[in-house]
Amino acid sequence: MIKQSGVRSQGSGVRKIIIFLAVFCFLVIGSFLLSPAHAGEYTFDISETEKKPYQIGGYAEFRPVLSGLDKDASLHKLKFYNRDEGSVIEEYNAKLQLEGSLEKGVAKLFIKTNTDYKKSYLGEDQKTTVYEGFLSIKPSSSLTIDIGKKTLRWGKGYAWSPVAFIDRPKDPDDPELSLEGFIVASADYIKTFQGPLKTLSFTPVLIPVYEHVNNNFGDVNNLNFAGKLYFLFYDMDIDFIILTGGSKTTRYGADFSRNLTTNFEIHGELAFIADYKKRFIDSNGNSLENVYDAKSYLIGIRYLTEEEATYILDFDILYFTPSITAIANVNDKSFSISPELLYTGITNLELRLKASFLSGERQSEYGEKQNDYRAELRARYYF
Amino acid sequence: MLKIFGFILALMIALPAYAIDGTSLLKEVDRNLNPESYESYRKLINIEPDGRKKEYTLFTVKKGADKIASLFLAPASEKGRSTLRLGDNMWLYIPNVGKPIRITSLQSVVGGVFNNADILQLDYAAEYDVEKVEETGGEYLLYLKAKTKTVAYDRLKLWADKGKKLPTKIECLTEANMLIKTLYFKEVKDFSSGIVRPSVIETDSPLYKGYKSVMIFAGIKERKFKDEVFTLTFIPSLESLR
Repeated sequence: MIKQSGVRSQGSGVRKIIIFLAVFCFLVIGSFLLSPAHAGEYTFDISETEKKPYQIGGYAEFRPVLSGLDKDASLHKLKFYNRDEGSVIEEYNAKLQLEGSLEKGVAKLFIKTNTDYKKSYLGEDQKTTVYEGFLSIKPSSSLTIDIGKKTLRWGKGYAWSPVAFIDRPKDPDDPELSLEGFIVASADYIKTFQGPLKTLSFTPVLIPVYEHVNNNFGDVNNLNFAGKLYFLFYDMDIDFIILTGGSKTTRYGADFSRNLTTNFEIHGELAFIADYKKRFIDSNGNSLENVYDAKSYLIGIRYLTEEEATYILDFDILYFTPSITAIANVNDKSFSISPELLYTGITNLELRLKASFLSGERQSEYGEKQNDYRAELRARYYF
Repeated sequence: MLKIFGFILALMIALPAYAIDGTSLLKEVDRNLNPESYESYRKLINIEPDGRKKEYTLFTVKKGADKIASLFLAPASEKGRSTLRLGDNMWLYIPNVGKPIRITSLQSVVGGVFNNADILQLDYAAEYDVEKVEETGGEYLLYLKAKTKTVAYDRLKLWADKGKKLPTKIECLTEANMLIKTLYFKEVKDFSSGIVRPSVIETDSPLYKGYKSVMIFAGIKERKFKDEVFTLTFIPSLESLR
């Protein structure tokens, strides 16, 4: 049975998406007109590049979102239970991300904070989190030691990385967003060679998990070890990854990435998790647990055609980047498809309009998500 | 007898033209543009048909024939982004994303007429063979052919000043001799320590009508680096080299 509820909500949803599109166009044209055109000569003085021992920066963003709900989906029932919020819900998000660093000799202190504000059918919510805060010591170009809260971001996948064993899950709707790290001690050791093996690097990581430290990583009272061995071998990036130590079951991973031609890249990941525990809730509300050895993999490509670039430029819109992301579950044939339009024509301002459409039969991954579609507008200013 | 003498004389006159060693000349042009290993500060400016501009400031380090890395210093939206090239391999590191991703030579990390291969330019002699050299007035014209299919442009026509042995213009062509873009080398400047080279490179393209991109160098100096600097693991730490 294919999901039907999306059809009912299409009318008002489509009208609101059109409003988003109109606001996006208005913002693009407005910012374009407000940004002055400078003709004439260009200058560059070396004093502009002077290095300071400290750096401060970040961005602020506003992001309204529209979601068309699928009232028959399991996740809708789980989240909304007996509340009726209509077929389309709106939410308004704001974000402030700040980062700063202080550098002296071989040592560098880095901090990144994130403040999220959300107004939705549930009311208002605000939260500030220290995403990263660590001391980095670099005694030579082949060795770095980091201690503190840090994000590792392992894996080659764009929207999903099964080998990212020590990362919090990415938001597939916005995989480039910063993530909160864990408190770790890590090192990077690099060695280079002549010949087919050009680079080898080793990244050992210690992850303490105790009552007040990383307690949401897994089972407490364990000191976990993770490691990544990287090779650049015959022009291919290859990583071998391991996590063990008791907070989570031992897991192994491998990934690769390679350019095939001047405009074509391919990457992949493979993860093996021993004794993986998956929890289920049945229709009576009973909690069940299934333990098995899990294998996950992905293959991805990135492709750019000159014809597309030419086509876009003929319309005089150099700074528009259209893209489309599709994520499919090959087992149940459900998928999400997300077209987006990014405008970066104004220095330090980024405007993005993104929509996502979900499709799948009942009992499938995307068929049971709470939304049929989603549209969002994001205005981000860097400083 | 007179004919033989005339023939030998003609050969002697013609010989200097054929005696130009194209490969050596190209290597000389490379060395006059940059020391083999160096650091530089440059600005990339994308200029739209109405004069509107977008500027990027980059710190760049290079070693040997095939290793180069760049760090974006400005604007704020790009600050901390880094690119690395090792031969045909190219990566982009975005601090927010937190891991390097592979990029390709025909894409552009700055969205202008310069593509990644232009921004992370290796020695011309590392990527191209010299097919022939012509002399046109005060300039040499070198016809270059890419050594492999992975090089961004299949053919280059490089005009170089005979005296300074510096490029004045380069046409980038496809295998079928279709013009992709033209680079103009301007304003020769003394960067000290014997580095005298064009400080401005302009480019335009029939594919990007009305648009222009400019690269301005404010500083270039010879500097030695360890190979470990040009690795994926080091790329988030490029700032530590400044």
